[in-house]
Amino acid sequence: MDPTTAMYIAQGIHGIAYGMVLFLVASGLTLIFGMMDILNLAHAAFFMLSAYFCYQFLSMTGNFWLALLLAPVVTAFFGILMERFLLRKIHAFGLMSQLVVTVGVSLVILAAVKIFWGTESLPVKIPPILTGLVNIAGMDYPLYRLFIIGLSLVVLAIMALLLYKTRIGKIVRAAVSDPNMVNALGINIPLVFTFVFGVGTWLAGVAGVAIAPILTVFPGLEAQMGMDAFVVVITGGFGSLAGAFIVSMIFGLLSSYGVQFVSTLAPVLMFAFMAIVLAIRPVGLFGERE
Amino acid sequence: MMNKKGQWIFWAGLIVVLFLYPKVFGIYYTNLFVTFAIFAVYSVSFNLLLGYTALFSFGHAMFFGVGGYGTALALERISGMSLLGALGIGLLSTIIFALILCPIVVRVTGSAFAMLHLAFGQLMYILALKLRNITGGEDGIGGFPIPPLNIPGIASISMKVPENFYYFAIAVLGASLWMMWFFTKTPFGQIQVGVRDNAMRVDYLGFKVPQTKAVVYVVAGAFAGVAGSIFTLFQNLIAADSAFSILVSFGAVINTLVGGLGSFFGPLCGAAIMQILEEVTTRYTDRVELVAGLILILVIMFAPMGFMGGVRILRAKWLAHSAPKVKMEKVS
Repeated sequence: MDPTTAMYIAQGIHGIAYGMVLFLVASGLTLIFGMMDILNLAHAAFFMLSAYFCYQFLSMTGNFWLALLLAPVVTAFFGILMERFLLRKIHAFGLMSQLVVTVGVSLVILAAVKIFWGTESLPVKIPPILTGLVNIAGMDYPLYRLFIIGLSLVVLAIMALLLYKTRIGKIVRAAVSDPNMVNALGINIPLVFTFVFGVGTWLAGVAGVAIAPILTVFPGLEAQMGMDAFVVVITGGFGSLAGAFIVSMIFGLLSSYGVQFVSTLAPVLMFAFMAIVLAIRPVGLFGERE
Repeated sequence: MMNKKGQWIFWAGLIVVLFLYPKVFGIYYTNLFVTFAIFAVYSVSFNLLLGYTALFSFGHAMFFGVGGYGTALALERISGMSLLGALGIGLLSTIIFALILCPIVVRVTGSAFAMLHLAFGQLMYILALKLRNITGGEDGIGGFPIPPLNIPGIASISMKVPENFYYFAIAVLGASLWMMWFFTKTPFGQIQVGVRDNAMRVDYLGFKVPQTKAVVYVVAGAFAGVAGSIFTLFQNLIAADSAFSILVSFGAVINTLVGGLGSFFGPLCGAAIMQILEEVTTRYTDRVELVAGLILILVIMFAPMGFMGGVRILRAKWLAHSAPKVKMEKVS
């Protein structure tokens, strides 16, 4: 295989890995929006918080797998606290208030992170088993990126099973289409909301741990991922998981090939894509409502 | 209500106070007041969209920034540019920018509108950072000459004196505020409120909803651009972080919410309150983010109507307390 093709394939894998992480963040966002009509602007802050928890657990125990397991759960716990004690109380005040409260929470998280961990970027070491390159069919692939893709696929499979094969998944899907009716049928909708919010922040948390070894952990993580995830959710259509997945993949590939060909304008490509999609379909690729 | 005479006294008093302000408080507080006035106009223009037309422009900083960069580029690239000319170019570039966005944004409402603006705002931020040869990247454009204000045949007033600049800025920003206030009182302003309350009914009445939104959009953008232009002249610097940053967009939202939604002077009060709070907090702590975040949460949790909402409730209570009998008699 000639080096040019190899480079294209390597860039493709980087793109898919990034797209997968993007999807983990965006899926939580779109799930929460689809069900609760809340645009959680603190979502990326939870993503960052989880990366910091990962660093903390790793430096305490030295075990990456334990950090991968624990950090998202702790993050989800904070997410549930926020839903229960802030968002639930202001649900009646409308979109504006929710946006502003979530911005407030993200500012507080950012400030807290700076107080506890400082502002410099902290390295997260990959366990030795995941470092290095793996040789498949005469090509070298960075193992950790493949691990991210695999991890995301496993999480995705768990989510799909949960949503489409279990009772709670059925309730969640019903609540996405009409929460009031489901509530009238005697199902504790606030509890389901809290559960979904927890799952959403857990997804962001998994993404945070997955990205930590690549980008290192620093306060700018939030802004970097948050905007991308929002653009994915807007372009894919609010509340649509399939849209989020496809657009995440497109954006991942766009950004990795974009950096190669038009390096300075790579971030603009994503927004240009979004503008074109929205000009044609204002509700997003797979969106059904405004 | 105030009668005609009372109104004249009020305006005259306001002008005297604004005139004497820099002489009494000195340069530091004069500059602080100019900053407040800039963000007051910016926030009011944001509220023109949100409070009067229910369009949530979550990336309002882009108008602010385009106006600022327009003025800065005019002064940097064109030699012999006059002060008002630069201001005009800033205004014109914002209007053109808003006109370009119009066809896309007037078709969406609610959260899609908000998110679209968040994204466009961020796009402008990235462009300002990346198009280094035009915008100067992170450093921005600074140190351009600020020409004196020429009134042909009468005087040439140097803008380098802070006091002179204060009068110039207050005149421009005051005029902007008055024009926006007037705008909401025109018949067109009433249609705008109609679009907010029930777009479909306004449509049935024969008014064109998307076009109405487009006009309001351009007007609001233009005044945010004026605020940005004055800001640029004031700082003699415009950079991506001070113009297009997401925090500038949030600033408008925060001012509007703290001051009170749906009232013309709410954002103005909000801008004043936030300015004072920032001034006080930076004196005691450098954790401005933490304080801002906590204030946002507390305001929404405990005073969702903001400052003006609180004032309204207090006034209603006072009125009810002072004149309950008269009201009862009138009803019966």
